[in-house]
Amino acid sequence: MNDDQLDEILSEAARDYNAPGDVPRDAMWTRIAEARRHRTAAPAARNRVWLWSGAGIAAALLIATGIGIGRRMERSSPIVPRTVASRDTVLRRDSAPSRVSGQTVADRTETASATIREPARDTAGPDRTLAYQLVILQHLAGTEAMITSFRASARSGETDAHVAKWARDLLGTTRLLEASPAAADPVMKRLLDDLELVIVQIVQYTTRGISDPEELDLIEQSIKKRGVITKLRGTLPGQSGLAGIRG
Amino acid sequence: MVLNRPGNGSFCSIVTDSSRLNDRQLVSRCLGGDPVAERALYDANVERIYRLMHRMAGDGDLAADFTQDTFIRAFERLEQYRGDSSLATWLHTIAVSVALNGMRKVKRLRGRTESVDGVEGSPSLVVSPTGFTGDLRARLHAAIDSLSEKLRPVFVMHDIEGYTHEEIAGTLSIPVGTSKARLFDARARLRLALAAFAGDHIA
Repeated sequence: MNDDQLDEILSEAARDYNAPGDVPRDAMWTRIAEARRHRTAAPAARNRVWLWSGAGIAAALLIATGIGIGRRMERSSPIVPRTVASRDTVLRRDSAPSRVSGQTVADRTETASATIREPARDTAGPDRTLAYQLVILQHLAGTEAMITSFRASARSGETDAHVAKWARDLLGTTRLLEASPAAADPVMKRLLDDLELVIVQIVQYTTRGISDPEELDLIEQSIKKRGVITKLRGTLPGQSGLAGIRG
Repeated sequence: MVLNRPGNGSFCSIVTDSSRLNDRQLVSRCLGGDPVAERALYDANVERIYRLMHRMAGDGDLAADFTQDTFIRAFERLEQYRGDSSLATWLHTIAVSVALNGMRKVKRLRGRTESVDGVEGSPSLVVSPTGFTGDLRARLHAAIDSLSEKLRPVFVMHDIEGYTHEEIAGTLSIPVGTSKARLFDARARLRLALAAFAGDHIA
């Protein structure tokens, strides 16, 4: 028997492979409608949505508060001493004639003030650093929880719409932090960059809502290659990664 | 109220600009909470999806579960439908994903691995009009069952349900060439599984 004959047999015999009967159209529609009503009304699901929405809002508020505190501290940090110090510096420099000729005292004060502004930040106060640390800890803990949750659900072939929303919220927060003084620490900046990349992948995957083993594998590789979970876990308990954060 | 909706035939024919427009109108009305539009969307697609689910699951109850799950998910995620593909393709993508995930769970629950050699029982030896026996038919069905998750949907959709490679590619999010290659591979494996057996039983 050649391939053509076999193909003919295949074609004939395959026709009744798992042959469907009548479509239970109305019965299925009734159950779909019931399931949708039930899902809409299910308090547990509603609570979960509120819980995660609440967590997202809380995280955003915490971030905003942290950044607000940071900025306020920055504004209220001792300007006068800095100016005085700079004036002193300028005046000391005044004693070197070749450096200051042609400049008013005010110009020189401004120049000197700008020159020392960065070092002055370092002494802005422990409160601001603490605020950022709290914000970052909260964010990193949430991110680890989301990634763990995503991996668990994705492994079982499910894509959860709530995880998608959660990931989107975390992505926004990560980007806020990347633009904040928290990213001044190179270790933290690397971690935030890695997190952003992984979260973006998760957002794209969960938003599509379709299980795709190949794409899932890429996300897994990304998590492992960057050691995201290890870094997160290393950072959270000992806060070693936060030690160098400056406001 | 008359709704423009795709027919129940091959959804290849509805992948046109005008039908996309109709898809979008239908989706828009569904998102607006129009129950008539929701039912129209369901009616237009349920038959083909149920048939495919039944072919893949081999069980009426499972097929109904998968079909229901497909539409429940589709209605939940309807706002994510961008209109890049036809609504039917989008629904079929969800359906195939639901079926594959569902079948994985079923297999885990049953705790068994299906294989060609694992066929048990004693299929009837009734000779069909084409000359091959029920035994061979059972053997073929078992061989189809044993195809991998990548090959089986392509074979079922193309050779049994009559989908085109373009439709399959859209549904499985793979290139058309990959769909063709998978079908070729699936047929080769089935031929291999049946060759010796068929030689003995067909005059």
